[in-house]
Amino acid sequence: MTTTTIVDDTAAPTAPRPPAFRDAVAAEWMKLRTVRTTYALLAGAAAATLLGLTVLALLVQDYDRAAPAERAAFEAADPTVAVMPFVGFLIGSIGAMVITSEYTTGSIGPGLLAVPQRGLLLGAKATVAATVGAIGGLLFALLSCVGTIVLLGDRPAPLNPWPTWTDAVPTVVGAALVVLTTSAVALGLGAVLRSTAATLVTLGGLGLVVPMFAHALPTTLHLLLASILIPNLAPQLAGADHPYLLSPVGAAAAAVVWVVAALAAGAFALDRRDAG
Amino acid sequence: MISVRELTKRYGPTAAVDRLSFDVRPGVVTGFLGPNGAGKSTTLRIILGLHRPTSGEALIGGRRYERIRRPLHEVGAVLDADTAHPGRTAFHHLACLARSNGIGGSRVAAVLERVGLADVAHKRVGGFSLGMRQRLGIAAALLGDPAVVLLDEPVNGLDAAGIRWIRSTLRSLAAEGRTVLLSSHLMSEMALTVDHVLIIGRGRLLAETSMEQVRARSGRDVLVRSPRAADLAVVLTGLGASVTADGDGGLVAVGVDAPTIGDAAAAASIPLHGLTPRSATLEEVYLEMTGDAAEYRAVAERTTR
Repeated sequence: MTTTTIVDDTAAPTAPRPPAFRDAVAAEWMKLRTVRTTYALLAGAAAATLLGLTVLALLVQDYDRAAPAERAAFEAADPTVAVMPFVGFLIGSIGAMVITSEYTTGSIGPGLLAVPQRGLLLGAKATVAATVGAIGGLLFALLSCVGTIVLLGDRPAPLNPWPTWTDAVPTVVGAALVVLTTSAVALGLGAVLRSTAATLVTLGGLGLVVPMFAHALPTTLHLLLASILIPNLAPQLAGADHPYLLSPVGAAAAAVVWVVAALAAGAFALDRRDAG
Repeated sequence: MISVRELTKRYGPTAAVDRLSFDVRPGVVTGFLGPNGAGKSTTLRIILGLHRPTSGEALIGGRRYERIRRPLHEVGAVLDADTAHPGRTAFHHLACLARSNGIGGSRVAAVLERVGLADVAHKRVGGFSLGMRQRLGIAAALLGDPAVVLLDEPVNGLDAAGIRWIRSTLRSLAAEGRTVLLSSHLMSEMALTVDHVLIIGRGRLLAETSMEQVRARSGRDVLVRSPRAADLAVVLTGLGASVTADGDGGLVAVGVDAPTIGDAAAAASIPLHGLTPRSATLEEVYLEMTGDAAEYRAVAERTTR
């Protein structure tokens, strides 16, 4: 009699040979393309971008009406604040739904029957979630920064965060990387929580609620905590003016830790628990 | 070939599957029969790698399911009617699964044709009836033209036309030489579809038999009525039958057939007012075979509370 223990079951799945992985990624990509939710969330991100730019346009209008002395006290018209947190949340929702929609609809069953190597399946899903995060993040960061540059025209600092348009490039890259991180972390959380709503609440909590409670902490702790929160990594990655603690390299390391930790938790949950 | 060896699955103190061992041979339709909660679905899910066994193993062609690369080419399964994203079209649902196993779009169209869903291929699954979703599940199972097909309660909730369709589909799959294992809690359903039956209760194998033998067991007893019941009882007992009163003036004879009873009564000049051979339904045979298990479970549940 052979006894198969749970420990044996958690052994690494058969080494994914490239074609199997490529097919799994192609299948996950097709799954994403063939549901309307994906397009609804992308449209939501576009709407958030427009809305954010409208707010910035109003700010610019205010600036133009203000006296020179007041103008010096204006905040920068920064799309990473006005637009990207919402974009990150909406694109992150796509990343979460790469796996949570399968639990909600029961389609995780056929998915696992088709690709029973769970590590391979999660790897394919993570690849798709990260790709959507990177492309969506880049697209909307670019749109919102270009839109901001057009709105600002030749108005100077402090309203204009970038002396020349090339100074906006690190901002775009940093914002895109944060959306990528958000989407991949959302997938990992989704694999653990198995519910779109719970994942989005957790994700929102990490971005919105934790910073509020953090204000109660001593300043240094508060600053440290704020520095590692995913949305706050954007200015740190860009190396822009910001009140946080991390260098661009440090911020990149923090993003990697977030993604690895979330995906490891997701892989562990997917591997250990019964599915379907 | 599916081999299940000493398979056990525990949820806390409860064993859903308890040291279950059996083989499913190729070329025949095997039925997996048991009451609700007997462990049928759990066993199928362990065979398919969806659930982890506590101990023991389930192998398909000598391998655990998780070790099979592109498994749709070897094993097809229908577990639940509701396993497609309602917002996806039938074609895309199948195309996503097919893509992961390197199966092309023309095969997707072919299986949709085979299960009769070609006309609604580009409709969203959310608008499908149960019967259509069940057909879609079977289409998914057939994508890779597998030699082994597993189905969990495929006729549950279907109307008569749907049941007839499933039945004929399963028969044709078997006729194509595939190994078919289906679970059901309905013996009558099994009788029309399967060649070989595995009966389980409380996660244990209670009986493994051919459908022929089950049918043979269904002949049961003969109800006899006579104004001289007491005399007739003596005669029948003399023939080796066991005789009991049915409480309504009649006798129930087991172990002797109706013509023999008629002949014996005539020879003893005992008038007969009624002679009714009674056969058990297949459901009754099944309940007899699983009755002990169900009773034992009821007792066990009472004592653990």
